[in-house]
Amino acid sequence: MLEARGVSFAYDGTDALRSVTATFGRAQLVALTGPNGSGKSTLLKLLARVLAPQAGEIVFDHRRLRDWPAKEYAKNAGYLPQDPDPTFPMRALDVVVSGRAPFLGRFAWESAADYDEAARALALCDAAHLADRYLDEMSGGERKRVFLARVLAARPRVILLDEPLASLDVSHVQQFSALLRDIVDRTGATVLYATHDLNWAAAYSDRMLVMQDGALVVDDVPAEALRPERVRELFGFDAEVIESNGRRWLVPRR
Amino acid sequence: MGTKRLLPAAAALSALLLIALALAIAVGSTSVSLRAALDGDPTARAILFQLRVPRALLAALIGATLAVAGLTFQTLLRNPLADPFILGVSGGAACGAAIATASGLARIPGLVPLVAFGGACAATGAVFLLARRREYTDPTRLLLSGLVLNAFFSAVILISFALSRQSDLTAALRWMMGTLFGATWSDVLLLAVLLALAMTLLAAMANDLRMLAFGEDDAKSRGVDVERIKLAGFLTGSIVTGAAVAVSGIIGFVGLLVPHLIRMIWRRDFRFLLPLCALGGGVLVVLADLLSRVVLTSSELPIGAFTAVLGVPFFLSLLRRSR
Repeated sequence: MLEARGVSFAYDGTDALRSVTATFGRAQLVALTGPNGSGKSTLLKLLARVLAPQAGEIVFDHRRLRDWPAKEYAKNAGYLPQDPDPTFPMRALDVVVSGRAPFLGRFAWESAADYDEAARALALCDAAHLADRYLDEMSGGERKRVFLARVLAARPRVILLDEPLASLDVSHVQQFSALLRDIVDRTGATVLYATHDLNWAAAYSDRMLVMQDGALVVDDVPAEALRPERVRELFGFDAEVIESNGRRWLVPRR
Repeated sequence: MGTKRLLPAAAALSALLLIALALAIAVGSTSVSLRAALDGDPTARAILFQLRVPRALLAALIGATLAVAGLTFQTLLRNPLADPFILGVSGGAACGAAIATASGLARIPGLVPLVAFGGACAATGAVFLLARRREYTDPTRLLLSGLVLNAFFSAVILISFALSRQSDLTAALRWMMGTLFGATWSDVLLLAVLLALAMTLLAAMANDLRMLAFGEDDAKSRGVDVERIKLAGFLTGSIVTGAAVAVSGIIGFVGLLVPHLIRMIWRRDFRFLLPLCALGGGVLVVLADLLSRVVLTSSELPIGAFTAVLGVPFFLSLLRRSR
């Protein structure tokens, strides 16, 4: 469905991505990990069409991304930046319904059907009760749900999330991870999300991508991605790997 | 859906604007009766239809223009402090007018507005070029360029004034403080046409413009051509501001204050705020101009002072009530 073929990108001459190749089918929860500055955000931006690749090609449904009309691709792919903020206070339902923007004509306003989609997306994110609240009076976890609902309101087939779990406490990390799993299982969408939480990623995702210095170095099922020798090489610390119920858990050695 | 809530808000503000206009036309240093004017009394007709009506309409148009430009800049730059004047537009206009005064060219009738408009356009272009790097316009650089250019313009204005003749200075100062004295029907027509064009253009871009609120990356991912929207929005806001400043001089506070006032009452997105800001800006400037005319019987006070006198207490009371 979505495919990166040898994609490279540099900011002002500094390489951020080096020839990344990866293929994403439908209904997958894919965790994207790697140290800070390894190119996770850049890869997500390229896939979201925020940036254009300087070499290589991204293909969606057998058509190159740059050949897709911008709004048409936006109906298929939803992107959530790291720290979204509406600048001025806004009601949650209005934030979510703005996710329908790619479907609107030039002078059009959202219809009742668009508001129904927004309400559905909020419910899917367990956030129906937040509809009339304002973003500036919500907790970090609640805001995350509202912004995820905004992405879901367009019913995208590909969902790209930049560190959605950052700054959430552990119970919210668990709830949000379970929510992503649920969205993949229920809607058949593919979710690619950047995260630093290796254990949570391993517990919930179907697949883990690990990046290092702009290159994609691991693309595997979580159990394989988290082999101890790989962890030391990639993240630079010694870890003990504990197996339990067929899953691998990393425990750092002191 | 959204329009259902817009109509009552717009109707309420339209009613306010009509009341303000009626007051501005009815009240003045000379009392004239509408009946006398309609009966053909030449003095009454002249005062109403050549002085008060065009002046009241021009005040409404100036207010609408400045408020709409302020809303556009705040939305584009994602910055609550942005307003048409911070971006150097007024500084450029004032600078043009000051140089015209110093060189004596200002004594040619009709030249000051032209030079002021030219100065506003030149400043706009300079600010935009300074902020642009590799096909990307950085909002912070845009604000910073505007601020720094404004400081430069202030220096040029001071030097020009030092070189000006005493007799030319009074007119120049009056213009710098903003005045609607001598408003003509052709001013009204010019500004009405420009404002209508700008509003149409902004309404056509509104669906994209409001998406900028969530950040440029987010807007791009939703299929918005961000650089094109920024350029079109910035030019539209600057041109109408330049025209408003050319006609009325510098009337501060409206572009900053009105969008915030409206947003405190109706916390909605750009599409919703656009018509409401136009109406609200009109109300504020019509009332401010009325006060500037009637507070002293002997002379007129600067209207820019009254937009602040009226707007700031209202703003502060809303600020205290909102979280």
